[in-house]
Amino acid sequence: MKERIAFLALLGVAAAYPAAAHHSTTMFDHAKVVSIAGTVKEVHWTNPHVAIFVYGSLAAGGEPTLWLMEMTSPGNLVRAGGWSRTSVKPGDKVTVDFSPLRDGKKGGALKRITLLETGKFYTADIRAQERANLEEETPAKPAAK
Amino acid sequence: MRYLALLLAIGISVWAAEPAREKPIINPPPAERDWADLAKLPDWSGVWNPKITDQDAQARTNMPPWNAKAAALVAHQLAEEKAGRPPPLFVNCLPEAMPAWMLVTHNAMEILFTPGRVTLLGESDGNRLRRIYTDGRHHPDDPDPTFHGHSIGRWEGDTLVVDTVGVVPQAYIAISEAAGVPNNGDMRIAERIYLASRDILHVELEITAPKVLTRPWKTTRIYFRQRARKFDIVEGVCLEGYFAPGTDKDGNAIFAPVKHDVGGNRVPPE
Repeated sequence: MKERIAFLALLGVAAAYPAAAHHSTTMFDHAKVVSIAGTVKEVHWTNPHVAIFVYGSLAAGGEPTLWLMEMTSPGNLVRAGGWSRTSVKPGDKVTVDFSPLRDGKKGGALKRITLLETGKFYTADIRAQERANLEEETPAKPAAK
Repeated sequence: MRYLALLLAIGISVWAAEPAREKPIINPPPAERDWADLAKLPDWSGVWNPKITDQDAQARTNMPPWNAKAAALVAHQLAEEKAGRPPPLFVNCLPEAMPAWMLVTHNAMEILFTPGRVTLLGESDGNRLRRIYTDGRHHPDDPDPTFHGHSIGRWEGDTLVVDTVGVVPQAYIAISEAAGVPNNGDMRIAERIYLASRDILHVELEITAPKVLTRPWKTTRIYFRQRARKFDIVEGVCLEGYFAPGTDKDGNAIFAPVKHDVGGNRVPPE
């Protein structure tokens, strides 16, 4: 219970500064990808940027702490990464690969999140949707009359 | 007879006393033929996603012909972005506006045809929209400045030719989400929109902005069509990011305002 309250206090600090719109992502160091393993605490499935809070530790080691993962919009995640609002839920055990913030704070741009229970993973690259007719096996035919 | 003359005199005096009134312009109701004519237009249905990698490439290879002052600003912005401090051009949730919507958006749009009008609906900026009048009207002499301006269009075969004026001077001519210059007024945007192939839409833009460009700038932006229903446009309320879902003291579900940082990101735990 104490832990839970401590976590909520921590989350309260983080949630005091949520997202704004349409920004460049060079505050993240895209040349680097690091990993954490942990538990999903909160999912903010909101425009303009989805965020996931994960409590976990770096694969490289270290004390567990709360991390904030930033992504693109819900609409873009659905198109580019096959996400839905319930793909990742609080309580899920996950590993996350992300490009960290350059300023050393506990945040990053999510590249891939893997659900440990099923092995299913989701990516968040909006440039992956640059093809017409994604998910169509054959070219679209005119609707039947 | 005298009675008739009196009536005539009163009539003339009433007419003369009336101030000259401009005849109101009425938008006529569409006729059956107007709806039938829409079927002759090219098929632009579906959801259109921008080719962001081409936006990225053009930010490097197709620089607008900035004047000296604008070029200096853009050089500074690019240096800041490279250093990991991207300038926050579009983090206030005001519309990206024209022409930035067409130039740098990462979000989908759809296009609707109705008699006398083409309407572009975007997923971002609170589901922003552009109204392009194709009913033969002209621009107003002195349009009220707006984020998307006043747009008139005409069909040249299967190409929609659009002219836009009346955009607010604050609207950025942006080459990326982190680099761009306010047009500062008197901007004119000419567009040619057409299917380059069955599922690829091209938007050719020619932007004239004498306050910041030394000559008109041309660029072509590319959109991909999706038809899978899961890709239908969804709500995209930008300001949502400034609120957190919460509960008030009476247990009612509310959006509670929260702070944000100038860079446009949630600030992570220390």
